[in-house]
Amino acid sequence: MEKFKTTADLETFRRKITSVRPAPKISITISVNSSCCILRGSKTVAAAFKDELESQGLNGKIEVLHTGCLGFCEIEPVVIIQPANILYGKVSRKDVKEIVARTVKNGEVLERLLYKDPVSGEKIRGKGNIPFYQKQMRHILGRNEVIDPRSIDDYIKAGGYSALTRTLDGIAPTELVNMIKESGLRGRGGGGFPVGLKWISCRDAPCDDGIRYVICNADEGDPGAYMDRSILEGNPHSVIEGMIIASFGIGAGEGWVYVRAEYPLAVEHLNIALSQALNYGLLGENILGSGHSFSINVARGAGAFVCGESTALMASLEGKVGRPRSKYVHTVEKGLFDRPSSLNNVETFANVSLILEKGVEGYREIGTEGSKGTKIFSLVGKINNTGLVEVPMGITLREIIYDIGGGIPGGKRFKAVQTGGPSGGCIPERLLDLSVDFDALKEAGSIMGSGGMIVMDEDTCMVDVARYFMNFLKGESCGKCVPCREGTRRMSEILERICLGGGEMEDLEVLEDVCEYLPDTALCALGATAANPVLSTLKYFRNEYTEHIKQKFCRAGVCKTLFRYEIDKDLCTGCTLCSMQCPVNAISGERKKAHIISADVCSRCGICYESCRFGAVKIIQTGAAV
Amino acid sequence: MAVKARPSGSVMVVGAGIAGIQSALDLANSGFKVYLVEHSPSIGGTMTQLDKTFPTNDCAMCIVSPKLVECSRHHNIEVLTYSDVKEVSGEAGNFSITVNKKARSIDPDKCTGCGTCMMTCPVTNRLQIQEIFEEDAIEEIEETERIINQYGGKRQSLITILQDVNEKFGYLPEGALRSISTHLELPLAEVYGTVCFYKAFSLEPVGKHLIKVCMGTACHVRGAGRILEELERYLGIPSGQTTEDRLFTLDTVNCLGACALGPIVSVDGDFHGNMSLLRTAKLVDEYAKRK
Ligand SMILES: Cc1cc2nc3c(=O)[nH]c(=O)nc-3n(C[C@H](O)[C@H](O)[C@H](O)COP(=O)(O)O)c2cc1C
Ligand code: FES
Repeated sequence: MEKFKTTADLETFRRKITSVRPAPKISITISVNSSCCILRGSKTVAAAFKDELESQGLNGKIEVLHTGCLGFCEIEPVVIIQPANILYGKVSRKDVKEIVARTVKNGEVLERLLYKDPVSGEKIRGKGNIPFYQKQMRHILGRNEVIDPRSIDDYIKAGGYSALTRTLDGIAPTELVNMIKESGLRGRGGGGFPVGLKWISCRDAPCDDGIRYVICNADEGDPGAYMDRSILEGNPHSVIEGMIIASFGIGAGEGWVYVRAEYPLAVEHLNIALSQALNYGLLGENILGSGHSFSINVARGAGAFVCGESTALMASLEGKVGRPRSKYVHTVEKGLFDRPSSLNNVETFANVSLILEKGVEGYREIGTEGSKGTKIFSLVGKINNTGLVEVPMGITLREIIYDIGGGIPGGKRFKAVQTGGPSGGCIPERLLDLSVDFDALKEAGSIMGSGGMIVMDEDTCMVDVARYFMNFLKGESCGKCVPCREGTRRMSEILERICLGGGEMEDLEVLEDVCEYLPDTALCALGATAANPVLSTLKYFRNEYTEHIKQKFCRAGVCKTLFRYEIDKDLCTGCTLCSMQCPVNAISGERKKAHIISADVCSRCGICYESCRFGAVKIIQTGAAV
Repeated sequence: MAVKARPSGSVMVVGAGIAGIQSALDLANSGFKVYLVEHSPSIGGTMTQLDKTFPTNDCAMCIVSPKLVECSRHHNIEVLTYSDVKEVSGEAGNFSITVNKKARSIDPDKCTGCGTCMMTCPVTNRLQIQEIFEEDAIEEIEETERIINQYGGKRQSLITILQDVNEKFGYLPEGALRSISTHLELPLAEVYGTVCFYKAFSLEPVGKHLIKVCMGTACHVRGAGRILEELERYLGIPSGQTTEDRLFTLDTVNCLGACALGPIVSVDGDFHGNMSLLRTAKLVDEYAKRK
């Protein structure tokens, strides 16, 4: 393939590939190219389709598209058959033969593979009718559905790189950065800093040798969030396009993408996409004849949460230990190798081309006053429809959790939703009508963060959640500043003690004291926000703390020393399943008679609780602390 | 223990960090003769490396530096730096202690600490003792050198080089680290420091199968902790260790990015989603059977 020399070349090419291939009669879309689909066996399904189409003589007559993540991870791998508009979920290799023979050939619908709504129990046929998709606004993720992430032509066919040609053709760099500022786009990586302002300060920062950097933060350290992975795996070119546009606005010649080590597939797709873009002349010297040159390097992270922080990330890119520095001088003035550097999140870059396509006014129509556009959340935890959801800012939590997420599985009660990862907080049921935007979440004691949204039900212990986050932060604190290093350690010790039943009421005061000092004294945002998980649980779930301390009881059955299991005589059918599974032989009883758990032997591993099909294993207060 | 009628009036404080210094000063001010022994060439310890102190946020140097000066000026304190305690005998009240004073190769009475010699010394950041390598370390070193050359031996490639070496051997052998230190002209301590900082690196060889349990939030609320405990119980090792037959290494990871399918266990890079306690032991057995 020849390099495109001008923007017109690219547009001609786009017209060519869209007109050459007439839309085939039938197309099959399979979500294959994403880690979570692969986990669910998408590769074998795709291979089975290939074999099956061949053996039934349909080769070449049907277009098969291997896309990245379609967002609805609960029913992955997904197969969509068009134009009949049929969506099959949880497809396995065994189903393929029937799908090809009946649905593809004869247009029959296979009831059993259709999506079943967990609320109404109804079978739903098309993607558009599934409640999970209905309330979403999939501007960014939607493009995953029509693209094979390994094919740049697919991206161009879907309108990709048109924002770039538009920019290079008629928008001056200063005008561009002002447009981004006007659009109200705020960083999606956690801080919510206005992107336009960042670009302008980086552009205007003095620099002797004129070298500036554009860096993409794909470290995604927030546990429980995977939006960035899905974008990089499913549509890497959208990030590259955003970065090229940013470099044009800022006047940067070199770019970096810092990807988490745990995302090998994202790195692979990104590298493929980069070499394709280079071959097409979209990267490198004199891009599309504009005179602007830009190249992108990929760096793999090495498993440190704090490396998501801007200064730590840059230190890590320089090959050093990823410890943050204090920001008397901002990274837009002196960042990577002491040059002006602009760091943005993956999703932020994916938004850039959208702004140029929709125009500033069009983009501003979505969202609230202070937060514009859409945001992708990873809706996970105790929720029926787990997956990635993209919603306009300002939607309520209730809509996300109940309308899109389909509520809590197993008829359990909702307890809290955790947003913002280790820097965020837990939001209780009574605040479910909170509008989801940067400012409202902050006011509620949490943050928007990068988009993790973890739903918790009655089986989740809130003290344990606080302990979990503090333990995480203790481990990830880089140790450079004392408030964070010692503060997280002490809080972790106290919370650990409470979970073991050795807590005292004064402990809560100490926790609050430390939480008060941390934000003002810590060096970087990791320490400054470390108090949020504790403060928010103390604020909304104080009763659970007092229960742990005074009654030595963990109602959720999580803190092992603060409860015991007991078998309800009336519910137990004597099926012996639990006694067979018990690893420590703590359960005795005859077949068809009620069983008994010996509390002394029981290690509270929870296997019986999990395996009992009759709900006969109950969580009981012991009262005695250990 | 019989205490002698007249205990000798001197005290030895071992370790001249902030705690040692303060003890020495308090004792000296109460009239005891104090010997302050310190392993490193200067007193002050960790506190001199800190910026602020918790929780009052006071400047660390402002607290410690007057004490350093006081210590060296106090008539009752004798500072023995660059020295190690070799042997202690006797009993409470009357000890005899042998102290090994290491060679400074510089006359301490004349040295003013001006720093000129340090700056002019042509050998910087080099290992002071070259270790003699075992025969089988040679392959490690050759491979490491190949990787270093591939990245042009630049300092900024340190992490990338470490990643590749770690991938190659499954861990970072000592020979490799020493070779990296020499070629990139970095102190070995800095290379080690970097290795210890990042979770992706291992200093010990891993077993044939690497089991990683996701401890991310989404997996945590779905019971990842119990899965880990069950694995620890079944394999008989705590997280972070390798079984005796070197078949399995058990480790945790903060999030694998497939949170919708939690709890997740990855074995040799293959993800196993929606894990339950019942399936855990079976999963291990399955891999144990693979040769
Ligand atoms: C401890 C810590 C971890 C962070 N982790 C990430 C991360 O994983 N991904 C990310 O995009 N931003 C992360 N950030 C935020 C970045 O520092 C930075 O604000 C962001 O990448 C800027 O991009 P944006 O303006 O597009 O949001 C983290 C910040 C802190 C303090
Ligand atoms: S929390 Fe386990 S994969 Fe993300």
